[in-house]
Amino acid sequence: METVLLILHYAGLFLILLGSVFLFLGALGIYRMPDLYNRLQAGTKASTLGAMSTILGVGLIQPSWFIKLFIIVIFIALANPLSSHALARASYKAGVKPIITSDTDEYAAVADEAGRPKTEKNTQTL
Amino acid sequence: MLKKIFVLFLLTVTGVALWQSFRHAPFGENRVGDVENPETVSAFYLKHSPETLHTANSVTAIVVNFRGFDTLGEVTVLFLAATGLASILYRRKEDEEEEGGHLPVRVKLKSSTLVRTGAKILFPLILLLGIYVFVHGHLTPGGGFQGGAIIATGFLLMFITYKRFNVNHKIMVWLESLSGLAFVLIGLYGLVAYGSFLQNIPWTGRLNDLISGGLIPLIYIFIGIKVATELTNVLDTLMNTKPRKK
Repeated sequence: METVLLILHYAGLFLILLGSVFLFLGALGIYRMPDLYNRLQAGTKASTLGAMSTILGVGLIQPSWFIKLFIIVIFIALANPLSSHALARASYKAGVKPIITSDTDEYAAVADEAGRPKTEKNTQTL
Repeated sequence: MLKKIFVLFLLTVTGVALWQSFRHAPFGENRVGDVENPETVSAFYLKHSPETLHTANSVTAIVVNFRGFDTLGEVTVLFLAATGLASILYRRKEDEEEEGGHLPVRVKLKSSTLVRTGAKILFPLILLLGIYVFVHGHLTPGGGFQGGAIIATGFLLMFITYKRFNVNHKIMVWLESLSGLAFVLIGLYGLVAYGSFLQNIPWTGRLNDLISGGLIPLIYIFIGIKVATELTNVLDTLMNTKPRKK
């Protein structure tokens, strides 16, 4: 029993370390990335995984909290991608242009059809 | 010029009055005192909330029991704010029909399928979390105000996701009024039965149980319902307000 708890403890510590690294990378991405969409994906992907693994790590260290923490993890997994999807979609339709080096913008046709306001100006500041 | 002199005079009078009254106030001195010293206020609260009230969360014991009357005042302030907002933003029916259309301007574009499905899944979960927070107000951090605010965020999610999501105003207003009334009635019960307003009942249960702390969880549940319905009403009023046509 004791060894199982010890293994869980170290697994939890490892998960917390992993989560912290991902959270740090997410923060770095928000600081470093050039435009809104890149920042959003850096923030969301990294912080979703970072927060989830940190919370799961705490759950492994303290097994009596595991169920509650697991519910929080599910909540983050549902809410975090959803909110960033809504943010990205709303800002695209509001006319924030992504920085694209190639000429492919496959979403443009769909967004125009749905009534995107026609703005040529790139409102994104670098 | 005269106005400026008058303002200067008023400022001087106010300043002198404030200085006179606060001259002897010992600022920076620790007047709450130290927890170890049994004569101070904090020690009294920390000692009495688990022992006599059987409330695990001392903050809740202070907010709802020792300072319950203040909390009633806070709830009233919130109620007044909501009422004031509604009366400022109120538009008559005729005005709305003149301007045409029933759909408020709050949402122009349809939300994506992903957001709509996700909101449907998240909405009951958020409500459940809010209810959990205010039901466990006497055991864990949180309570009526926090739980109510969480529930209102759930309604906000539905408001911004669905164009035609509406709450039944009548039910909301009734719930709000009845929970406020219940709070006052609990207080009056204490006054009648034990001689002081909001006096807790002596049967308080065991420490750390869900049913413990006497009337504290009951009051927090009513506060939670009241705050949730009030904030939802505020959001609904704000969302349904149309910009004035020029």
